[in-house]
Amino acid sequence: MNAPAPASCAHCELPVGRFGRCRELSGNTLWFCCHGCALAYQVRHGERDEPEAAAWLIRLGVAGFLVMNIMLLSLLGYTGGLDGGDAGLRQPVNLLLWALATPLLLIVGGPFFASAWRAGKGGGITTDTLVAVGVAAAYGYSAWAVLRGADEVYFDTVSMVLILFTLGRYLEAQGRLRAMRSLVPMLQAQRAQVRVVQSTVEGDMQTLRPVTQLRAGELVQVLPGERIAVDGIVISGRSACDESVLTGRPGLQPKTVGAVVRSGSLNGEGPLWIRATVAGHSTRWIHIGRLVREALAAKSLAGTSVDRAAALFLPAVLLLAAGTAAVWSLQLGAAQGLLAGLAVLVVACPCSLGLAASMAHAIAIGAAAQRGILVRGGGVLERLATLRGVAFDKTGTLTQPTLEPVSVATDDASEVDVLRYAVALAQASDHPAARGVLQMAPRSGAHVQETRVRAGAGVRGVVDGRACAIGSAAWMAECGYGLGLTLAQRLPSGCTPLFVAWDGRVRGLIALRAAPLPEAAGVVDALRRRGLEVWLLSGDEPAACAELAVRLGIPHWQGALSPEDKTRRLQHESARAGAFAMVGDGLNDGPVLAAAAVGIAVGDATDLAKESADVVLPRGALAALPWLLQHAAQVRRAVRDNLAWAFGYNAVALGLAASGLLQPVIAAALMAGSSLLVVWRSWRAERRWTADAAAADAGVPVIELAVRG
Amino acid sequence: MTPALWLIFLAGLAGSMHCVGMCGGFACALGADPRGAAATWRRHLIYHAGRLTSYCFLGAMAGQLGAWLAAGQGQGAEPSVQAAQRVLACVAGALIIWVGLQFLGLARPVANGPVGAFGQKLARGLSSLVSAPGAAAPLALGVVNGFLPCPLVVAFVAQAVSAGGAGGGLQVMVAFGLGTLPAMLAMGGLGLWLRRGTAPPSGGVQIVGMPRRPRSGGAVPVDWRRHGVRVAGGLLLLLGAITVVRGLWPASGVHALMGH
Repeated sequence: MNAPAPASCAHCELPVGRFGRCRELSGNTLWFCCHGCALAYQVRHGERDEPEAAAWLIRLGVAGFLVMNIMLLSLLGYTGGLDGGDAGLRQPVNLLLWALATPLLLIVGGPFFASAWRAGKGGGITTDTLVAVGVAAAYGYSAWAVLRGADEVYFDTVSMVLILFTLGRYLEAQGRLRAMRSLVPMLQAQRAQVRVVQSTVEGDMQTLRPVTQLRAGELVQVLPGERIAVDGIVISGRSACDESVLTGRPGLQPKTVGAVVRSGSLNGEGPLWIRATVAGHSTRWIHIGRLVREALAAKSLAGTSVDRAAALFLPAVLLLAAGTAAVWSLQLGAAQGLLAGLAVLVVACPCSLGLAASMAHAIAIGAAAQRGILVRGGGVLERLATLRGVAFDKTGTLTQPTLEPVSVATDDASEVDVLRYAVALAQASDHPAARGVLQMAPRSGAHVQETRVRAGAGVRGVVDGRACAIGSAAWMAECGYGLGLTLAQRLPSGCTPLFVAWDGRVRGLIALRAAPLPEAAGVVDALRRRGLEVWLLSGDEPAACAELAVRLGIPHWQGALSPEDKTRRLQHESARAGAFAMVGDGLNDGPVLAAAAVGIAVGDATDLAKESADVVLPRGALAALPWLLQHAAQVRRAVRDNLAWAFGYNAVALGLAASGLLQPVIAAALMAGSSLLVVWRSWRAERRWTADAAAADAGVPVIELAVRG
Repeated sequence: MTPALWLIFLAGLAGSMHCVGMCGGFACALGADPRGAAATWRRHLIYHAGRLTSYCFLGAMAGQLGAWLAAGQGQGAEPSVQAAQRVLACVAGALIIWVGLQFLGLARPVANGPVGAFGQKLARGLSSLVSAPGAAAPLALGVVNGFLPCPLVVAFVAQAVSAGGAGGGLQVMVAFGLGTLPAMLAMGGLGLWLRRGTAPPSGGVQIVGMPRRPRSGGAVPVDWRRHGVRVAGGLLLLLGAITVVRGLWPASGVHALMGH
């Protein structure tokens, strides 16, 4: 940053002088003579807005032009610029105002009318209905006044109301877009292109195709640094991939021939040739992208509580406005009556209310997504904040995929021999039990021959010239080794046995059990400190559940539950204590995840579990669960504060408006002020959360989804 | 209560040498319309209409604000109103002098203006406006352009606040806006027209994009612009001084320099 100041501004080339300013833009250090130049430089060299936001900006700009002209003319009218000797100017100016207000109504008012119409056809009343009715009334009355040759026109009110509400919508769209932007890699899945390799007689041919047209079984080449768009298996090449977007696991995962690659991950230093295992339109990446998009879609963002409030509030407002207009019309004439009614409509429009929830939710969902956590909609955040308890599945959710050894029992053999044969054979298998055995002793130099592996059962082979086997009791019987009763009875409760046999009978027993995830105890502790009931609900045998529950400090547990039992149990506890979240991963967790107030799928959750879940935590991010709950609570507080503020404000302003004390223009300005305040509060809250989170739990991996440059 | 409008016009004219560097970029980037010179002219005039409208609006609002600030509940002739207007004039004059000093490289601009997250957002939006086809986008660009944090605009809006009314403020900004028009038009339309003679003919796609030259102000030599900015700085100092003096001694001989 302390580079010597160059002679001239990077934008306008004028000398920057002693007070030039330095900015870091897209990696370059540049000097500018003033803010304007720095801004102009970014305009010319920076990124562009998404088409949606650009369209809003154009709309806003054109509307701004019309509104400013209307306001100028009206202002001159108010301040007496037109009264002087030229009373005759009044009528042409009013006609001009009409001419300016009409395109404004069409350009800016159009979306409000369309939305109100759509809602009205379904029998609903939305905030857009209020805007549409109010604006149409003021416009119609003013047009009629011009035709009559009367003086009271309220085109300035129409324009102010419209532009301020449009500004609110623009800010809201920006907030949502910003949340979306941090998820860009997720959302690009649909548009990705793949390099398809086809073998022909002349050699390999490459064609570039949209990923959605890729069929399963086709061969795809991925260059270094590219994002992989297919799910498949590496058939040639060697590289390392960054899968953090999908799994939350930081760092590069090595990929060689035969490795499974996931769509959405980022290829490292080498080219890869990948055989697609699923069609391009149904990859995980596209699936996740769709889920994220749905989560951020406008409708799901509006919290249910806000919708309920609005359903009662809005018809009441329409009635109040009509009543106010009628009463004041009788007393003071149509013009005053209309103005008072309009003020009621405008001031009642609970846009700050709608904005309050949706802004905060969009920002919170975006923040969660940057940690790889998928939250399906604002309603989920609301429910997360009102939880009374959390129930966990055991296997795969709280435990590691490997098993850890507990004890060794022998029958007419030395422990050293048991371990020697077990370790030698275990090297041939990738089973969790085999990996657990390998933790007990270093790999031996024993000479192993003729190994045969039966997946899920065991391994047999010849170690140092002696035939032996490890595995389950059934595998022992199949291999012809006799199993004495005494050995089987020495298995500690809650453990999985691995038998070791040689010389005709079983001579050793290694007891293994599932090890809890290192972060599990901390998560349980954090949840209990938040005052939540923590349960362990598992299909595994009760002894294993009890053992894990004691180890992790979980006060309530139940084992040997079928999926239906789990659901029933959870519903029972929910009826007793309040809303429960269920955290699980397995295929059998689908029903209970769907039945819970909040279903949280974790780790390598199966697709069914993810489909029925409201929240998806990436693998290794169980530790983020307390953060997520705290985050949700903060969001809820922020939304509630905003709502209280907006409701209180509305009540006071409604009273003023109904008593005819509030000009519609001032009402609109106050409304916009409250919306801006809400938006500002949301931004501020977001910054605070980000800072808090960074400081508080440095242990949780923050996944950088945004790819720059 | 407004200093000579011709002085403001001149300051705008000279100051637009700064505009050429900064906003000229937008005018240039707007580029030519593939449908011919008339369409190009229209595109640029629409942009300037948007820009000047923003200036007018700012001027009138500022003037009205000044009138409200000065008036309170009183009437225009009361001594308290007179005093308030004199204070406003002094503040405005000081602000103008400060901007003038910035132009001369003798003062430091505001520490950390809007070029943060908001500035980036604004820049993104403007980028898409510059390249969008149709008549609406240039108009929107002009409107937003008028609200960009330009030191010149800040100075003259301050002047408009002290103008004593919506009409006076409007006049100030109209004079300033017209002053910036020649150079900006030259930049946008003529500069591009002239360059077309030397540049090879190009397709319709490139035209609305960035100009061939890497720098926006390339059509006007840097030396001219540097002198222009110095002259503008000097004129601003003069204008600021007049405004301050008028605020301090309303009946002094400075009235000779004024139009009213």
